[in-house]
Amino acid sequence: MTDIPTPAAASARADSVHVAPAPAQRALALHRDLTRVWRNDRGLWGQITAVNHTTLGLRFMGTALVFFAIGGILSMLIRAQLATHQGAFLDTALYNQIFTMHGSIMMFLFAIPMLEGLGIWLLPKLLGTRDMAFPRLTALGYWCYLFGGLIMLTALLFGVAPHDGWFMYTPLSDATHSPGINADVWLLGVTFVEISAVAAAVEITVTILRQRAPGMKLTEMPLFAWYMLGTSAMMLVGFPPLIAGSVLLELERAFGWPFFDPTRGGDPLLWQHLFWLFGHPEVYIIFLPAAGVMSMIIPVMCRTTILGYGAIVAAILALVFLSFGLWVHHMFTVGIPHMALAFFSAASVLVAVPTAVQVFAWIGTMWKGHPQLHLPMYHICGFFLTFVMGGLTGVMLAIVPFNWQAHDTAFVTAHLHYVLIGGFVFPMMAAATYWLPLITGKARIRGVGEAAFWVILLGFHGTFFIMHLTGLMGMPRRIDVYPDNPEWVWLNLTSSIFSFVLTIGFAMFVLDLILQATLGQRTRRDPWDAPTLDWAMPVPSPSYNFASLPISRHLGQSARDAVLSLARGEGALAGAARGRRELLVTSVGVARPHHVAILPGNTALPLYLSASIGVFVLMMLAGQYRLAALALVPVGALIWVWARGMAPAGDLRAVEVAPNLNLPVHHCAQHSLARTGLAAVLVADGTLFVSLLFGVAFLSVVTPATPPPAAGADTVTSLVGLGVIGIALVLAALVGRLNTRSAAALGLGANLLALAALLWLAFSQMDDPTAHARDALRAAVAGYVGLHMLVAAAMAAFVLDQFRRGEITPQTQGALGAWQMWQHFTTAVALLAALVLIAQVGVS
Amino acid sequence: MRWLALLISGPMLWAFLFSLIYALHGWACAGGSGPEGLDGGARMLLIGVWVLGLIAFIPLLRLAPSGQERHQRLPRMAVWIGLAATIVTLFPVTVITSC
Ligand code: HEM
Repeated sequence: MTDIPTPAAASARADSVHVAPAPAQRALALHRDLTRVWRNDRGLWGQITAVNHTTLGLRFMGTALVFFAIGGILSMLIRAQLATHQGAFLDTALYNQIFTMHGSIMMFLFAIPMLEGLGIWLLPKLLGTRDMAFPRLTALGYWCYLFGGLIMLTALLFGVAPHDGWFMYTPLSDATHSPGINADVWLLGVTFVEISAVAAAVEITVTILRQRAPGMKLTEMPLFAWYMLGTSAMMLVGFPPLIAGSVLLELERAFGWPFFDPTRGGDPLLWQHLFWLFGHPEVYIIFLPAAGVMSMIIPVMCRTTILGYGAIVAAILALVFLSFGLWVHHMFTVGIPHMALAFFSAASVLVAVPTAVQVFAWIGTMWKGHPQLHLPMYHICGFFLTFVMGGLTGVMLAIVPFNWQAHDTAFVTAHLHYVLIGGFVFPMMAAATYWLPLITGKARIRGVGEAAFWVILLGFHGTFFIMHLTGLMGMPRRIDVYPDNPEWVWLNLTSSIFSFVLTIGFAMFVLDLILQATLGQRTRRDPWDAPTLDWAMPVPSPSYNFASLPISRHLGQSARDAVLSLARGEGALAGAARGRRELLVTSVGVARPHHVAILPGNTALPLYLSASIGVFVLMMLAGQYRLAALALVPVGALIWVWARGMAPAGDLRAVEVAPNLNLPVHHCAQHSLARTGLAAVLVADGTLFVSLLFGVAFLSVVTPATPPPAAGADTVTSLVGLGVIGIALVLAALVGRLNTRSAAALGLGANLLALAALLWLAFSQMDDPTAHARDALRAAVAGYVGLHMLVAAAMAAFVLDQFRRGEITPQTQGALGAWQMWQHFTTAVALLAALVLIAQVGVS
Repeated sequence: MRWLALLISGPMLWAFLFSLIYALHGWACAGGSGPEGLDGGARMLLIGVWVLGLIAFIPLLRLAPSGQERHQRLPRMAVWIGLAATIVTLFPVTVITSC
């Protein structure tokens, strides 16, 4: 193989962040020390308490693969039913459950967790660090994903699975038309799983921004990290509208608050807006990591560097933003004003440009390099063929008149599978075949993988190309029989036969992975001669990734050259001399060393916390709402215990990171990872709030008026109540800055006073939320603000407790900074909510 | 951080204008203007906001660093992306009159 120039070569001349290399040590001794500190505990308990990113990343991906298989089996049932025009294999009710569960499993339990798993497993290795920023959060995310997924699967086994389609349109999914628990399973199960998505997004954002190897500038980091940064930003902003929608719909189903009921001032279209505000970016959330994989693998397979790094970053940026301006193109047929149709149609066509920029950059990279047809490259070619076709039918569907013809037909099903399987499954197969040596330490056995690829390609196009035609001939999606249209039979039968070919292909692919893991021969380090840091470590990768963390000089070398030097401890923070998990935190832009973070060790706390959230979800499903409220008590208690685990303890002295470079530990540092993490959480939280306000605006302005009953509130009393809340919260925000024990006590009191005033207002002044959507939304906004006050009060109490324990000193801040940030946010949203409420009263 | 803020400023401005004009058009279509068309005042408002939005890109373009290094080029490209998106996705305010 010819050598590949290192993409990060430029950072060798990094002007700013020179970290001196440490003297070499005995690699084996370092390895033993680090393994002792970073490895999982032994046995099954060790699996339960694991927080390590390698273990959890693989576990995420393995579990996602199992869900893919289950979703795949469901799709076989669908295809078996559709093979003839009067299939009696499934009845309509079961068919509805099966296609809904197929779509929901593939989107929420396969694609999203798979990309999270890949990010969690790969990013620390690629960026030159030892773990994700918040390992316990990684574990919490995994358990929430698993439990949420199991709830949905159990529902399927008992015949009470969701049956309203993967986008759960109201009124189909409201309590009148979907009376059982089927829709609740979706709303609660998916929301439970989304905890893991938001957790992963927070972690990924913080890890990329703050944990890059010293000297790895943002503008020089591997492209996969840019893609994941874009993805996680989109997840932070994209998931909250769905969470908001799901919570509102569940409130409507459980308590009769009529957000989506037109007879009481609601609007089913509000659900569609909230769903697609998430749903369309979701497609790009799935696509971007896959594109990141392409940008990593293509240059290596072609023995060159990526063409147009800057253009690709710009394309990512464009996609991240533009994808939020497309959601209405899923609603072109619902009677949207013409001008809005034009906005969204134009945006939908425009979004093809950044996608094309990437495709051309990849083609250009292949052109300038020397492509070698290894197995990952097969799947990359599969991607090109399939995804480009999906993109073209996408542009067709973006044109409004065509959309009106093809909407809700099999043409759309074909399009979405071309995009999802072409744009995600093929790149993931490329990723699996590319990185498997790093996971297993084994080389692959030739033959099976190549055969699997051809069978998959044939099976896929045989199944789905034909569905374009079936769709153009008018076959709607989501129908289980078509007795009056025998002309569709031969097309459907062909699709069904090829879908079984496709399944055989996937089975062969998995067989190839198993064969490699079990029978493959040991592989050498960096088998692809790749330049990036993920290969600058032993294979299979150790739990700690790097015996010493890469510094500028390693970024300028090929992975193979860097690996020995890193193993001998010539990088930063070598070994584990202090017997604790440590990693280096750097600045956002140029990755200047900032402080040393001490990570938590193995713990079962994430399991306990997610299990207690699971109890809450199950109580809600069972309709036991009082018990559900009670179930939140252990959730709160465990979060307190979790936070206690972050309190300053042990040796807080500065750490020698490299010769002549001593850095403080995170308890004594100003801008810790937790602070960046909280900022990311607040971005998501703020989006949730904006989604609620969108609901208020939408129902106040757009929805045809079903006049609300006369308001029973007394204006003066309400204004006094709002005034008390405002003053108390502003006071809490101001005293937070004082950094004293009495200020924390005052903050606690002020939050409790505000909460009491809100409760008093809610019970004495607010109208019955079941009467009209306006009142329901007011109650929802009040609930949101109240919850934030409660958390702010708990944080103030926590800080007070830290003062009492002597954990807050001039050197250590404890949770003070976090409380201040939260308090400011709470005060801001409360004031904004009050303003909107007053404006709404004014308008009406 | 400042660099990142600069990087997203252009697309953020697009997102803001897109939301604002979408909201204003919804408001205009819901009240007053019938399904056959937006009234003159509403159209002028939409076009005015769009034009003002385009003008707001000028300071951003000035703020973007000059130079050919990657960290200088990227924020510049990002502002142009925001501007192009504002032109393409919102120009319908000038040609479409119906609700
Ligand atoms: C393994 C091969 C697959 C086959 C044979 C297959 C087949 C199908 C078929 C026939 C339908 C239409 C059901 C109907 O309208 O009645 C469907 C729907 C769907 N599929 Fe797949 N699919 C496969 C993989 C995937 C993957 C990998 C994803 C996503 C990552 C996916 C996502 C969806 C979604 C979102 C729907 C729409 C469900 C709904 O209408 O609510 N599928 N699939």
